[in-house]
Amino acid sequence: MKSAHNKTQYRALELHFIKDSPHPHVIYFKEHLVREHTADKPSGRTLFVVNIPPYVDEQCMIKAFRKAGDIQSVQFSIKPNSTISQNSEIFLKEKCTPNFKLCYLVFKTVIGLDNALKLTELQPINCDSHLTLGLKKWINEYNSTILKPSELKDSIERFMEEYDKKTKQEMEKEKQMQEEDDEGWVTVTKRGNIQSFPRTEKVENKIMAKEEKSKKKKELKNFYTFQIRESKMKHIVSLRQKFEEDKKKIAQLKQSRRFKPF
Amino acid sequence: MVKRNIKTSLSEDDGEVLNENGKRLAEEANKENKKRVRTKNLYRQPTANELNRLQETENLFNSNLFRLQVDEILEEVKLTEKTIKRFTEWYNSFKVYLMSIVEDDLEFDLSEKKITKFLKVKLPILEQLSQTKAMFKFHKFKDIDIVGSYAVGSTINANLMVDVQITVPAETYTKNDSINYRYHKKRAAYLAYIASHLQKSDLIDELHYCLFNMSLTKPVLIVKPKGKLSNTLLVRLNLACDDEAYKLHRFSPKRNNLRETWLLQSEKQECSAVGPQTPYYNCSVLSDLTAKINNDFIATTLSNSQNLKQAIILLKIWLKQRKLCVSGHIINMLVCCLVQIKRINNIMSSYQIVRNIWIYLKSSEWDTKGLSLSKSKDAPPMDEFLESFPVVFLDKTGYYNICWQMCKGTYNALRRESELAVEMLDNPKLNSFLQLFMVPVSNLTQFDHIIRFKNIQSLKSSVLERVSKENKLNYGLDELPLVVNSIYSLLSKGLTDRVDLILQLGEADFSWPVKKTLEKAKEGYDEKVSFGLVLNPANAIKIVDKGPQANLPEAEEFRLFWGDKSELRRFADGSHIEACVWDGDTFAQRRSISTQIVDYLMELKYSVQPRDIFHICNQLDSLTARKMAAAEQGEEVSVKVLRVFDELRRDMRALTQLPLEISAVYGTSSVFSYSNPLPPLPSIPDPRAWRKASTCLIKTQKDDKRIFLPSYTEANRAMIELSYSGKWPGDIEAFRCLKAAFHLQISDRIKSQYSLASQAYPTHIDVNKNGLSFRLEIFHPKEVTLLRREVVDGVVKFKESEESVKLQRDTMLLAILRGALHGLHQKHPAFGPTACLFKRWLSSHLLSPTHFPSTLAELVTASVFLQPEPLTPPTQPTVGLFRVLQLLLNTDWATQMIVLDFNGDMTREEITELEQKFSDRSENGPQMCIVTSYDGELPSVWSSSAPSRQVVLRAQALAKATLSYIEKALMEDMSDNILAAFIPSYSGYDVLIHLHANLVPHFNERIDSRPKLNASDDVMGDVIPVLEFNPVEKYLEELQGAYEDFALFFHDSFGGDVIAVLWKPHVKDYRDFQIASANALKPVKVKGETKYEVNIEAIIEDFKLIGDGLVKEVVVNM
Repeated sequence: MKSAHNKTQYRALELHFIKDSPHPHVIYFKEHLVREHTADKPSGRTLFVVNIPPYVDEQCMIKAFRKAGDIQSVQFSIKPNSTISQNSEIFLKEKCTPNFKLCYLVFKTVIGLDNALKLTELQPINCDSHLTLGLKKWINEYNSTILKPSELKDSIERFMEEYDKKTKQEMEKEKQMQEEDDEGWVTVTKRGNIQSFPRTEKVENKIMAKEEKSKKKKELKNFYTFQIRESKMKHIVSLRQKFEEDKKKIAQLKQSRRFKPF
Repeated sequence: MVKRNIKTSLSEDDGEVLNENGKRLAEEANKENKKRVRTKNLYRQPTANELNRLQETENLFNSNLFRLQVDEILEEVKLTEKTIKRFTEWYNSFKVYLMSIVEDDLEFDLSEKKITKFLKVKLPILEQLSQTKAMFKFHKFKDIDIVGSYAVGSTINANLMVDVQITVPAETYTKNDSINYRYHKKRAAYLAYIASHLQKSDLIDELHYCLFNMSLTKPVLIVKPKGKLSNTLLVRLNLACDDEAYKLHRFSPKRNNLRETWLLQSEKQECSAVGPQTPYYNCSVLSDLTAKINNDFIATTLSNSQNLKQAIILLKIWLKQRKLCVSGHIINMLVCCLVQIKRINNIMSSYQIVRNIWIYLKSSEWDTKGLSLSKSKDAPPMDEFLESFPVVFLDKTGYYNICWQMCKGTYNALRRESELAVEMLDNPKLNSFLQLFMVPVSNLTQFDHIIRFKNIQSLKSSVLERVSKENKLNYGLDELPLVVNSIYSLLSKGLTDRVDLILQLGEADFSWPVKKTLEKAKEGYDEKVSFGLVLNPANAIKIVDKGPQANLPEAEEFRLFWGDKSELRRFADGSHIEACVWDGDTFAQRRSISTQIVDYLMELKYSVQPRDIFHICNQLDSLTARKMAAAEQGEEVSVKVLRVFDELRRDMRALTQLPLEISAVYGTSSVFSYSNPLPPLPSIPDPRAWRKASTCLIKTQKDDKRIFLPSYTEANRAMIELSYSGKWPGDIEAFRCLKAAFHLQISDRIKSQYSLASQAYPTHIDVNKNGLSFRLEIFHPKEVTLLRREVVDGVVKFKESEESVKLQRDTMLLAILRGALHGLHQKHPAFGPTACLFKRWLSSHLLSPTHFPSTLAELVTASVFLQPEPLTPPTQPTVGLFRVLQLLLNTDWATQMIVLDFNGDMTREEITELEQKFSDRSENGPQMCIVTSYDGELPSVWSSSAPSRQVVLRAQALAKATLSYIEKALMEDMSDNILAAFIPSYSGYDVLIHLHANLVPHFNERIDSRPKLNASDDVMGDVIPVLEFNPVEKYLEELQGAYEDFALFFHDSFGGDVIAVLWKPHVKDYRDFQIASANALKPVKVKGETKYEVNIEAIIEDFKLIGDGLVKEVVVNM
């Protein structure tokens, strides 16, 4: 167990907000070890940290591990193995409320990671009070939401340009698919010359309903005696069913003592 | 005949069929192939019995459910066999004991005290009669009988009184005893004689005298049997009189039996031998004389009529739930009468009988035409009775008015309730059974306005001074009924069509131990005189009471009645009319005009000071006032907002040069349905404020000086609907981008076309008009569709996602609902203020919208107005709040759902389907299920995320406490200040976060703060003020976001400067360390082992860090 501790066990250290904060949170970290490492979380240089308080930002992390070595990147995440995606295709960025999170710290050198795993204390994260919290933060947030019309216009135009480009590419791709491939197959797409119907649930349901209807049309009603008998029986059954349901309801009401008037 | 036979035989068999069924079902439960058996069961050949039962239910009952429910309730109120057996045993020995009373030859002069000394019990009679001379000798009675409901078999087991009647032999009374209460005095002596005998019995636990129906002259004995029997019933021993004692015609309404000289002690001898008629007094004797005849009549009519008896039981339950003071005797007589005139018979089902009785009562005219059971021609004519009694229902003999004590208010209430009952039965969408028989009403919620008199003695004397001598003579010693009747007629004349009902509120019968005199017992017991008013929503708010034209003779009468208040006025239609004008500048004032009228009339007619009259009607109006606007009522402020919004809407639709035209603008903020407790006021932006584009910024101070925040301004939200276009992109992000482009363009046009301050955002547009700020957002259903879109195996499917539900709810559904609620307010003007009160109540108990969504609060309020059954919609917000609280409390939210059908366009089938779905729902569905007719695919969408079960329970507990507090404060203590019901308790929370009050929005609107003058009304806004910047809300959001796994946060959103924190249960337990749940854990050493627990100290430290600048202090409760 002892030997394994550097590799798999989490190390726990207190994360002070300023020097000597009375009740600090405790963060846990270990080397980031997975089967397949991605480029942004390289093997041997990445530190996996959990239980990071909501208000902590990248700079704070850099400061906390200042003693270990230089840090290349900080990636926060709510759940392991997924980073907060910075997709440029999203026009309105979702505002997420701060929460406890985990983070992947990538050191510039392998030694940085080793040093980090040997740390006995972390540096305070807000010694130069760069963090704005509380009222000031909210005021800044509010003020930054207000855009000049020209700024808004620019961002809209930028996005639309990209979007148009993307749709154009797709169109071209679809057009290419319309061409016969090597084996002579043609893919039917929305914008081709070949007539097709959209593949949606609604259309499928419609087709099924039509089938049903045509089936029913072929049937004769009230033709054979057994049919008449059956329909009468059905009526009685429905009455019975209703009776049973009502009885159930009464039982339910009875259970909640709804019949004690006083 | 044949048909009837079949039926009776069937109903016998029925029981067996049912039993069989029941058994089979029970057995089934054990079997695994339950379903198969069940279907077999459903398809089995029907028996004739079964078919008949199904048919019978269809024809004779409202519905299957109704029939089953009737069966259940009858079973529930039935006396148990055990009780009957016990009582029969007890009664037999009681009878034997009573019959053992010995007749002695002692004769007493009742004006002396000798008899009380001899009997060792007091006479149950008033002081005024102590001097009355009468010689009394006890003659033994022949028999005692059980009469009334127990004898008939129509008892209900709650507060059961078994009536036992002793018929006093005729020789007890002499011929002249009928006058001047000598009869009553002898009757009292006879009762005391029996009481004295019973005192020695060991069958009896307690013995009390009781004033029957509060009539001072007719005491009865209440006997509490020894042993367990007294838990279920009491015995009421009543004295009747042998019908041979007097000829009935001596008591016909025109006769005088109470001499003026005696009662008023006037020495004048000039009046003729026969004084004015005394019908009221006469009836007090007649009720004894005719008792036997009537009881026999009831017994013969009802014997062997099971259905009639069941109907009587149902009626009694109904009366009891409605708190109507109509005795069982009257109901028995009424049923017998209707049998006699063949309106009902025993072949009808109990449901049909009850329904027929209600229909009869609804259109009956006992006050103008009367009703008589008698067929004899000698009886006095009906007109004589109608002249002397407000309500006339004559008995078998034709002399005795059974309703002699009934006030007209009670009769009107009976008629009104019957009408409501028939309406409920006819409403196919209502399970009327519960509302009719199971839901009790309370005075506080039933009436819009309750009048109570504080000083009864002075009221009595000042009323008695002013009534006519004839009236006084008629009522004799029963002064209270006279006072009540006089005030009733004054009120009904003064309030005319403003009220639908005036009802005097009854008190419980007064009883006292036999060893005490009546006077002594009455010390410390104060009589109450109170009236409840149900206001007519349309007429109650009239400012002017129009009288007759000035030149007509009626005008003089009008002037005489109204005194100085009556003025000659010219109206717009050119008529000159006598009229009274009341103060009514605001909606709130207009709703309480009835208090003005009552105060004025009572002072004018009976010189009762307004301070001696206590009104329960508008106590909570101060809570709906906007304090920052000099306490202007919220409704007026809302109207102003709506007016500006209407203008803006018109402007918006007239915008030109847009690629797509604006087809409609819908308001979604609660102010548009008058249900925002703090409707936005026109605001003046600080002229020195920093600006960017058209909007003010918030100044930040670099140094640590106090930050100054502009006053909180709420935006009025609205949805813009554009005309149709097929060109919206099929990608959600592109769609949103295009929306932003539209926002930009619309904002541009607003600026250039109307030169209003406007600012575009990606998500919305802000517009400032007349100082009010509006936040507009384009809505298109395609956005919802795009959010629901999902591609599975190349097939596009649509599935609700959290995001799509939220968007649909907050845009489309909210806009429709807002419109509907606006309509509801127009129909019931008390809706808006009631919703405001309810929201404030919730919030003041720290259940802010995050815990109890504000739209849900509006829906709960709306259900009080849409489904007021068994009552009618309230017209006073204060009463409205009581009803909302009662609804919240009395609904079992786990098993009941509410369907709000705003325009009546849901069918019975749809509702049944919803109910079916509701009963099959899983545990984690909404905890308070309220479905509106607009919800469509998303039933109960407004309560889908909140409240939690705990919050519902908490709200119910709070409602219970509030109601009992209010009931006590208003009905008992008569105190006007019930604002304490809106003060939260901070005990029981773990941590309290105190905030800087100057940063809290709406701090000046707190319940305890004083109104302020509005700075100015005319503001020309060329700039949009800081909108919806609420630091407390931001703080709460962050707290809830980060720490929702550990704690709950409670806050009053209307100016609360404290956030109360409650740790979740098990927060202090040790936990396992896992990556996914390592949040806020700290390692601790326990017995050498490392365990993990939640780092509570650090979390509390975080509270301070996150709320930097806003938090004043964090207090931890140990």
